[in-house]
Amino acid sequence: MNDDTHDEVTGDEPFGDDGFDVELLEEELRQAAAILDPVPAQLRQIAVEAFALHDLDARIAELTFDSVVDAIPVRGATDVPRMLTFRAGEVTVDVEVTAQGLMGQVLPPQQARIEVLGGPQTATPVVADDMGRFTSSAPPNGPFALRLRTGGEVVVTEWLRA
Amino acid sequence: MRVGTIPSAAYDDLPYTRGGAVDRADVGALVQSAVDGDAAAWKALVEGLSPLVWSVVRAHRLNDADAHEVYQTVWFRFAQHLGRIREPEKAGSWLASTARHECLKVLKSLRRLTVTSDPQLLDRVSEDRTPEQSLLDSEEAAAETERIRWMWQEFEELGERCRQLLRVLMASPPPSYQEVSAALGIAVGSIGPLRQRCLRRLRARLDARGAL
Repeated sequence: MNDDTHDEVTGDEPFGDDGFDVELLEEELRQAAAILDPVPAQLRQIAVEAFALHDLDARIAELTFDSVVDAIPVRGATDVPRMLTFRAGEVTVDVEVTAQGLMGQVLPPQQARIEVLGGPQTATPVVADDMGRFTSSAPPNGPFALRLRTGGEVVVTEWLRA
Repeated sequence: MRVGTIPSAAYDDLPYTRGGAVDRADVGALVQSAVDGDAAAWKALVEGLSPLVWSVVRAHRLNDADAHEVYQTVWFRFAQHLGRIREPEKAGSWLASTARHECLKVLKSLRRLTVTSDPQLLDRVSEDRTPEQSLLDSEEAAAETERIRWMWQEFEELGERCRQLLRVLMASPPPSYQEVSAALGIAVGSIGPLRQRCLRRLRARLDARGAL
């Protein structure tokens, strides 16, 4: 057993003179992580397939409001819906996520064909009425985005974890 | 939230002091090729930077379900923003920063911060065998396995700050300090000294245990 580093636990001395190989220890940790906690193979594969999601022509609607971050919690209220607002130029999309599904509105009010994306291979179509309102009875199961076709334009909301 | 921008570009003049199998200098070129439609370049980015994203997620101690969702969200968003990322050569920092923000959001939404120290992790064996895992298949590897588990246990019991930093640093290939900074929201200049200190603490714990 080697005790010669015990007095260094306080860690106040300048680094570089440690009497052991920090690089080696870090490398051993790296190997341990590769064995005990590697990137799950199926996740890596999903990331590879995510290339299909790149779309240079669509406009990205950025998240401008997220109730998780921006709202003041109401005392005692549990299971409040997640409120999200996305914006791309003058187009705004308000979305409410509940256990029952999605509800939302495109502003300014307009018809739109919308797809609820759940990943590179999952898209569920919904239609926004004249007022721009839409509902989807399937709550997002994981990350989701909305792709809107309105007029001649395609707008995609930023990917978000529901 | 503005995920498209890295919090600070004040460290631009610092060299990348670390780097591994994926030469970080190539990242910008890979991003550009992917923008041009090269799926192989995208795959190379995933191979090279997935462990960094995963490490950031794990450093924040999310449970498995949340960790998986954040990891996916980060890559979906990266694909979505491809071609719009201002500094393609810093894609690693972009990913690390995005992962951090999503993790913090999950932790905030949980409110009651249930710490998931995932004790099963030590017994988990991935079905997808990496070269390192194949090593464990050999008979003489039992002692090696034991040693690695000890090390992991001691690592898990470090203070939160050290545990977090080391979990990010042990991504493979090793992340640059700029990426670590983006992953944890700490200044580049403090990473080196903190790293030394944390590794010393781990070393001391292992010595005390008589391991290694």
